[in-house]
Amino acid sequence: MDDTGRLTRRQFAKAAVAIGGASALSACLDRSGGPDLPQGSDDLAALPDRQHAWNEFLATDDHGNDVAPRHHVLLFLDYASEGSPTDDDRETAESAFESLERAYPRSHDSDGETRVGLVFTVGYSPAYFERFDADLPGSVDLPEPKALASFENPDLDAQDAVVHLASDYPEVVLAAEEALLGDQSELNGVEMAADLSGIFERAERRTGFVGDGLPAENQDVRGVPDSEPISEDAPLYMGFKSGFRKSQATEERVTIQGGPFAGGTTLHASRIRLQLRQWYEQDSRSQRVGKMFCPVHADENLVEGAGDNLGDTALMDEKGCPAHASDDARTKGMVGHSQKSARAREDGSPIILRRDFDSTDDGEAGLHFVALQREISDFVATREAMNGEDLAEESAALGQKNNNGILQYMDVLRRGNFLVPPRDLRTLPEPNPE
Amino acid sequence: MHRRDVLRGGVAVGVAGLAGCAGLFETESARSRERATTVEDREEEVYHPTHREGATTVGTGGEGRYEVILLYSVPHGFWTVSGSETNLVEIPDDASAHLMATIWDADTETVLPTANVSAEISKDGETVDSRDFWPMLSQNMGYHFGDNIGLDGDGTYTATLDVGAMQARGLGDLAGAFAERTTVEVEFDHERESLGGLAYEEFPDEQGEAAALDPMDADIPVAQVPARDDLPGSVVGTGVSGDADFVAFLPDETPEFVADDRTYLAVSPRTPYNRYPLPFMNLSAILSQSGETVFEGALDAAVSPDFGYHYGVSVESADSALSLRVDAPPQVSRHEGYETAFLDMSAMKLTI
Repeated sequence: MDDTGRLTRRQFAKAAVAIGGASALSACLDRSGGPDLPQGSDDLAALPDRQHAWNEFLATDDHGNDVAPRHHVLLFLDYASEGSPTDDDRETAESAFESLERAYPRSHDSDGETRVGLVFTVGYSPAYFERFDADLPGSVDLPEPKALASFENPDLDAQDAVVHLASDYPEVVLAAEEALLGDQSELNGVEMAADLSGIFERAERRTGFVGDGLPAENQDVRGVPDSEPISEDAPLYMGFKSGFRKSQATEERVTIQGGPFAGGTTLHASRIRLQLRQWYEQDSRSQRVGKMFCPVHADENLVEGAGDNLGDTALMDEKGCPAHASDDARTKGMVGHSQKSARAREDGSPIILRRDFDSTDDGEAGLHFVALQREISDFVATREAMNGEDLAEESAALGQKNNNGILQYMDVLRRGNFLVPPRDLRTLPEPNPE
Repeated sequence: MHRRDVLRGGVAVGVAGLAGCAGLFETESARSRERATTVEDREEEVYHPTHREGATTVGTGGEGRYEVILLYSVPHGFWTVSGSETNLVEIPDDASAHLMATIWDADTETVLPTANVSAEISKDGETVDSRDFWPMLSQNMGYHFGDNIGLDGDGTYTATLDVGAMQARGLGDLAGAFAERTTVEVEFDHERESLGGLAYEEFPDEQGEAAALDPMDADIPVAQVPARDDLPGSVVGTGVSGDADFVAFLPDETPEFVADDRTYLAVSPRTPYNRYPLPFMNLSAILSQSGETVFEGALDAAVSPDFGYHYGVSVESADSALSLRVDAPPQVSRHEGYETAFLDMSAMKLTI
């Protein structure tokens, strides 16, 4: 706030994403006049086949890490009609998605910096595919969501679809959402040819942000101590960088290789409540580094600030962290989050691509963990490695949550699985298209 | 005013109200209440704390064989433990109470070393606090789960406790039980006045001495293990490490999972004075005959209705010289008087 108690434009804009709706958007635009963005693509055929091909549009930092778009909306939708979708609905909805692409560029150059205009994916749940008599082909691994640890008890998402909207501009994700839902007919000077009203109903919206400074600006929420412990250089609430190049799967690794949905991927979305009072008030910096990365990172003081000094790697293999997980559990009664997760790699490379972001939904610190992977089983394997139940099993000192990475600070409230088809099948796909 | 400011305002009043109640106490007491300890030059041993804070039962609940009792006291400082490091936890400005849960088995009344307990505290349908409790060790309660929490004034609260499965092998009537997590709801009324009116006693003469408070005088299950001579089995050796007493013994009843021609070697590490078991530690046993190692291996955490929390392993024979090695000290948060003990724990040769 400024000294009159008025929210700054930036604070207002990101608060507006969480609030949502036409009034939030118009208030947002009244204040800012909207970002100065070129329009999107005239040549839609030139866009990538993969909906999840976002990386080529993202800026990279000094170390070659992709920088995630800063503002996100997950729009959960239910198909409004009974049974399987009609061709009319399919055409109309596709036209709505194309309008988004015409309205905003994936990215553009702003004063010499790459900024994301609008990227989005559309995904479909197992519940959606139940609408059809036919089954998904064997080349798609999309089970119903389920609890993924003995200690969690999430509600399971059964909405038909999810649209993940992301932009460096809060106004853009808001406006795109409004336009998709039919509450706004024009977007960045482009007429919406159609919208999703009557075809889909909004079931839920989840919002958030990721990137340097945003968690610090948004720390006045339940779950974060009043002492404002989150530093300006932290891209996420827990105070550390993630998404190191070497900790992320490539888009190729998460892409479905064969069958009708080749070029697609799967998306897991979990809603996680963060409980950071203990993290910031009761753990030391050394405990936080050890629990987030690996005990050796704490012992050798490897992490400065949010961890930008680490470059493009969390130093997992370099420090032998995954290989030492069992020893650390035995001799220290403690293991790190990255250390455990790195055990799920394949030939040294991660198998999931994180597109997660923090949130103030419901007034509490949260994390929407969006992950892409070729098969949901890749996510399950990574999550199991992160659970470290095997380590706790063989080490009495290591709690199932206590000193077991960051499990203690996270409460998984919801889980959902979705298929993100290739772009040409992104609209109300049949389970076994030709 | 932001929602958060409203909350903060409410909590601030709570603390002020508490300070008002604390008018009963001298200024010196009020100051020491804010610190975890004022004892200087603490030895690496169990010591008598500076004060004792009264606790009161706020509610009970249960689900199947899981029984839960919830207590609270005024907020207090403690130490978290990772590896051999402790970290002093101070009391945040908005803490209203130190909330504690003990989980036990309805059938055998054994206090359970469940893996974790998380709590979501709500009032009028609004969440006011949510967190995973720390596993803790205190001189008047022994092993329990707890943390300082913020409440939102007087009224009726619901604590939704998510209780993890037991992270130890169950013996006897506990075999196979508590393998699944459960949720238990406990409703409780909170009045600042009743919290502020709880007993508070200082020990200016005893503080810092090698001694401990007695277990609290209340009708709640406390995890206390039998004295050496009361263990149902034959003791094969004892030792001391990090001020903890270790008793190794062969129980009269061999657990079912141990093959007929083998022996169950049980080791019961306990606090001095109060005989509280020490959970979440890694312990290895070395058996040797004429200088040759015949067995070396990790012991698993286990709990018996007869002799409580212990560590055990199936061995061919225990008829040898026994040494114990503490691979990792008890990873349990400590209340005053326990934070310097049970950390630097050297290996032991057990003797009869």
